[in-house]
Amino acid sequence: MASGVRRFFDKILLSATSSERNHLPAARRSNVNQEHEFRCYSVFVARLAIMGMLAVLIGLLTLFTWHFTKVYTRTSLNSLAYGLRYELLQRPILRMWKILNSTVEITTSQVRISEYVIRKYSKAENQAQQVELYEVMRDVTWALFSSRKALNSMSIKYRNGFVQAFHRDLRDKNTYYIYSNLDNYTMVEPYGMNRSSPHDLEWNDQMIHGNVSAIWYREPLDPDTGRKTGKQKVIPPDELINIAGISQVPDGAASWHVAVSKFTNSPLLSAALPVWDEDRGSIVAVVGVTTALYSVGQLMKELVEIHGGHIYLTSQEGWLLATSSGTPLLRNSSGGFALTMAKDSQDEIIRSAAEWLNKTYRHKPPLNHEVHSATTTLGHQRYYIDSFFLNLTRLPMVGVLCIPRKNIMGKVDAREIKTLIILISASVCILVVGCICIFILTNGVSKEMKLRAELISHLDARRKAEASSNFKSQFLANMSHELRTPMAAVIGLLDILLCDDSLSNEQYATISQIRRCSTALLRLLNNILDISKVESGKLVLEEAEYDLGRELEGLVDMFSVQCKNRNVEAIIDLSDDMPKVVRGDSGRVVQIFANLISNSIKFTTSGSIILRGWCENLNSFSNNENFFVDHRALWNAYQKKIKRKGLDGKRTSKNDNIVILFFEVEDTGCGIDPSKWESVFESFEQADPSTTRLHGGTGLGLCIVRTLVNKMGGEIRVAKKNGSGTLMQLYLLLSTPADVPRESYRLKFAENNLKVVLALNGGTNRAILSRWLLKLGVSIWEANEWNELTRILQEMFKPARIESLSSEGVEMEILIIVIDIGMLNISTDIWKEQLNFLDAFSRRAKFGWILNHDTSNTIKIELRRRGHLLMVNGPLYKTKLIQIIEAIIKESNLDQPKKNIMWTDAHAQSSNDSEVTETNSTESFTAYGSVVSHCFPELTDDRSEWDRLTSVPNGNLNCEQQIHQKVKNGQKALEGLHILLAEDNPILQRVATIMLEQVGAKVVVVGDGVQAVETLSIQKVENFNNSCDPPPFDLILMDCQMPKMDGYEATKAIRRVEMESESHIPIVALTAHAMSSDEAKCLEVGMDAYLTKPIDCKLMVSTILSLTKCNNLTLT
Amino acid sequence: MDGVTQLQRQFVEHATSLYREGYLDDQFTQLQKLQDETNPDFVVEVVTLFFEDSEKLLNNLATALQQESVDYKQVDAYVHQFKGSSSSIGAQRVKNVCVVFRNYCDEKNLDGCVVCLQQAKNEYLLVRNKLEALFNLEQQILQAGGSVPMIV
Repeated sequence: MASGVRRFFDKILLSATSSERNHLPAARRSNVNQEHEFRCYSVFVARLAIMGMLAVLIGLLTLFTWHFTKVYTRTSLNSLAYGLRYELLQRPILRMWKILNSTVEITTSQVRISEYVIRKYSKAENQAQQVELYEVMRDVTWALFSSRKALNSMSIKYRNGFVQAFHRDLRDKNTYYIYSNLDNYTMVEPYGMNRSSPHDLEWNDQMIHGNVSAIWYREPLDPDTGRKTGKQKVIPPDELINIAGISQVPDGAASWHVAVSKFTNSPLLSAALPVWDEDRGSIVAVVGVTTALYSVGQLMKELVEIHGGHIYLTSQEGWLLATSSGTPLLRNSSGGFALTMAKDSQDEIIRSAAEWLNKTYRHKPPLNHEVHSATTTLGHQRYYIDSFFLNLTRLPMVGVLCIPRKNIMGKVDAREIKTLIILISASVCILVVGCICIFILTNGVSKEMKLRAELISHLDARRKAEASSNFKSQFLANMSHELRTPMAAVIGLLDILLCDDSLSNEQYATISQIRRCSTALLRLLNNILDISKVESGKLVLEEAEYDLGRELEGLVDMFSVQCKNRNVEAIIDLSDDMPKVVRGDSGRVVQIFANLISNSIKFTTSGSIILRGWCENLNSFSNNENFFVDHRALWNAYQKKIKRKGLDGKRTSKNDNIVILFFEVEDTGCGIDPSKWESVFESFEQADPSTTRLHGGTGLGLCIVRTLVNKMGGEIRVAKKNGSGTLMQLYLLLSTPADVPRESYRLKFAENNLKVVLALNGGTNRAILSRWLLKLGVSIWEANEWNELTRILQEMFKPARIESLSSEGVEMEILIIVIDIGMLNISTDIWKEQLNFLDAFSRRAKFGWILNHDTSNTIKIELRRRGHLLMVNGPLYKTKLIQIIEAIIKESNLDQPKKNIMWTDAHAQSSNDSEVTETNSTESFTAYGSVVSHCFPELTDDRSEWDRLTSVPNGNLNCEQQIHQKVKNGQKALEGLHILLAEDNPILQRVATIMLEQVGAKVVVVGDGVQAVETLSIQKVENFNNSCDPPPFDLILMDCQMPKMDGYEATKAIRRVEMESESHIPIVALTAHAMSSDEAKCLEVGMDAYLTKPIDCKLMVSTILSLTKCNNLTLT
Repeated sequence: MDGVTQLQRQFVEHATSLYREGYLDDQFTQLQKLQDETNPDFVVEVVTLFFEDSEKLLNNLATALQQESVDYKQVDAYVHQFKGSSSSIGAQRVKNVCVVFRNYCDEKNLDGCVVCLQQAKNEYLLVRNKLEALFNLEQQILQAGGSVPMIV
């Protein structure tokens, strides 16, 4: 049992621990493991404790239930049983008592009557009188004897030895009269022997023993009438009955004893009483009465028959008087019948009971108290034993009752065991069920606890992850701050270099390129920093107007160098309906395409990279099957944009309309596996991990792109492409000012009878350009290589044709040859020959040269020498083409008259040709110089471009140019400007002052924002009074962090004042924070530009110039 | 004349070592460029200003950090000023310590702040000694009749 239970628990333990273990991740640290085990252990202990408590409770409950049912039942039953036993004993005893009483009564009455009779005849003088006395006595005795049927015998023994007795033989139902013969007896004077006691005693003994000789007679009697019914017979004396003699009443009082007769098998109770004479001096006769105790035994039997068990009566000495069993009470010994002792009884139960009593009370019969025992084992059974003591004078008796316990308590005992068994089994069942329940419940609880613990650890991990992400952002922010410094140094040095006048144009262009790349690098740095902002949702998009096309073209220019090195064609193909000016965050848009294009370049080894763009108006936008736009998302984004525009309504003009700009970036690289089309946009995800080795990269680029595109309300995806390579499609929602005029070059092109020869290496680009020109109504010839070009040219300028041309000279046609420098064979000296060949056509056609970044100076000089002044850096795209064409048209219009003249004497003065053309060209160049400077940013406008990119959001082309010139012109760039410097740091105050003064500005320094505001207002008042002196401030340099009033507050205050006067003084922020959110904050409070500390001199000057001169220009 | 050359060489070595060991950056060069006939003692003037300002700030910081409850905003403002002034004269290492200092300030890490203050003090004293030595050399060269060579 116990081992079974242990095994059961072992199993539970095993299952519990194994279930715990199953949840253990394999690769956890050991302390976690220990913790886990400890927890499992504690759960198990708790489980055991609960089970143990349950077991104890149920056990107690069972015990109590059992105990109380048992005790109460038993107590009540015991009391009932006690009553019953008492009753059972009481009844035979009462009967005994009654018998004794009646015996005593009859004896006493016999004595009284005898006394009376004997007294009457006491004076008997003769035999006759004596006889008469006996006769009377006989009658009287008979009367009494017959009245009591229960009597066994009645005898009178006279003093003289005469005996009269009646006897009932219970066996044969006869009644006898027994008497002795009178002859032997002398007349005795009763009174004479009265006072001689010794004599009396002697007499008595003599009388009894001396009477031996007397003859006894017995005559049967009719039991009813007492008449003689038969003859008298002689019988031996004392044979039949005990005759009570004088010896039995030695002291003259009544005596009792139990006797035995030969004729009955039951003991007899005999009483003897003396009959006194008149003066009570002497005893004249003794009356003896015997009663059978048979009826007591009968009653006992009846009683026991009902209840079972045994009853018996004994004398005090232990002689058995009556039993309920049928065993004989007398024993046939040698001396005749004798009483048996109870302990010698043939009945086993009685014998053992007597023995038990003896043993218990150590052979001292309990005289004065009653014995009750409920648990005595007699034989093989348990008995109740009760004894009562009946104290009669001279005959004390003890009654004993043995009832088998079974008879009374048998069923109770049987039930008791059954109840116990049932109770125990029930409680065991409950215990088992309870344990299982506890196991299941605690299992659930422990699972829940485990889950909770896991949840807590997850939360912990998340918090840690968030913290580390914060650290990352913090780190990036700090890094950007630190990286900006060397970058600023690089840029600054480049600026110094650019200021150098002794640079050749080519060097200048190269340095400009470096400058632009550095700027791009700086911007990329900031953008990488921004990814943390994007991730935390802090990215704010700028809202500024910019020329999208120009930005994208600049981008392609930037990448073209890289492309050229890899022998990849970089092409931009923007449709004509693209809005010129859009409103948005130019930096972010450029970032999107820069990422996409650099990605494409990375994976493209040969072929081309095409950036296509076209525009759809949202209102007219119909479902385009070819594109992927999700209309609902688009509409949502549109609504949002509209709403935001509503909020920003003050800043943006109301009549902006929103356009959808579609873009495609296509390359001919290795392509992306379709299964990766979605995942490439995830952070740190690359389509093929092995590319990291080959191409480098972090996998962040496309993630940033997608975030930015989504931010601008667009979508991006990888699209299916014919052939190898990748096709990225995206659209952006941008607003565009409605009042920007569209280009009008179509008309011009159509007016002039244009013919264009495109001699370009890149097939794709050429095809795109030629298609576009054809659409504009321009005739096109395409050349792929030098030989093809010569063929085309020769065909065009056949002598016959020239003839016809000259004859129809009125109708002017302009022939433009756009030629890639790559057409020339530069590796050898053949290119000079080629140029000579081309020079032959230079009078009739205009040349536009497309240079490479690595085109050597000698070629350029040679070209210039030969009069080919129209040179642009590759790659060629629409805008550049338009500029080339426009320049040529202008030129041709300008020297139309001259040309006409020249055409006339062309034949005459062929030798002079080159010279004339040269002069013409120089003239025309000066004429369209400004146009060129507009059109070829990479030649002259580099500086203005980077200014705009870094610090001036709304740079105007014209004023930048002027600034540029000024900066270039000399140190005193800020001559005549009046500047207010608000700066609390004395060192910076000093440094900035010197810097500004060196470039010619006048500086007023104040220490905090309050002073700045005050100075400005005082000046205003003075200005009002005396408009000439001192001059008004042209600009304020404002430190952001100052005591009393910081730069932001001061700016706000100044702008508030300005609201009234409608003037606007430029404010430039000075801050040590490099984050663009700070920039945003600065611009938000109304500052115009933003400079970071430490102050970069050139940057400061250019910024100040751009702000002040523009204002001046706009004012004038 | 040899003495002057030697002094000049010493000066150049000292100055380049300052740049090499990161005590100064090109901001100091810019300062030197700004010095011309109109402002002959510009660099010395600005650097002296820096010394005065720094000592004041360092004292302020020390007292601020000894308070029962440290006002981190105030400390941050001081450090910001210190950083601004040190970066203006190009005391790079002081500036770097200031950057770290401000981070601790944001975290309200008192121990870190105290350590940083000590570092800042050390760096400041170092750069001060170096600069004073530099100016001394400069003075000696000028007294000896030589011209101060330009660095970089």
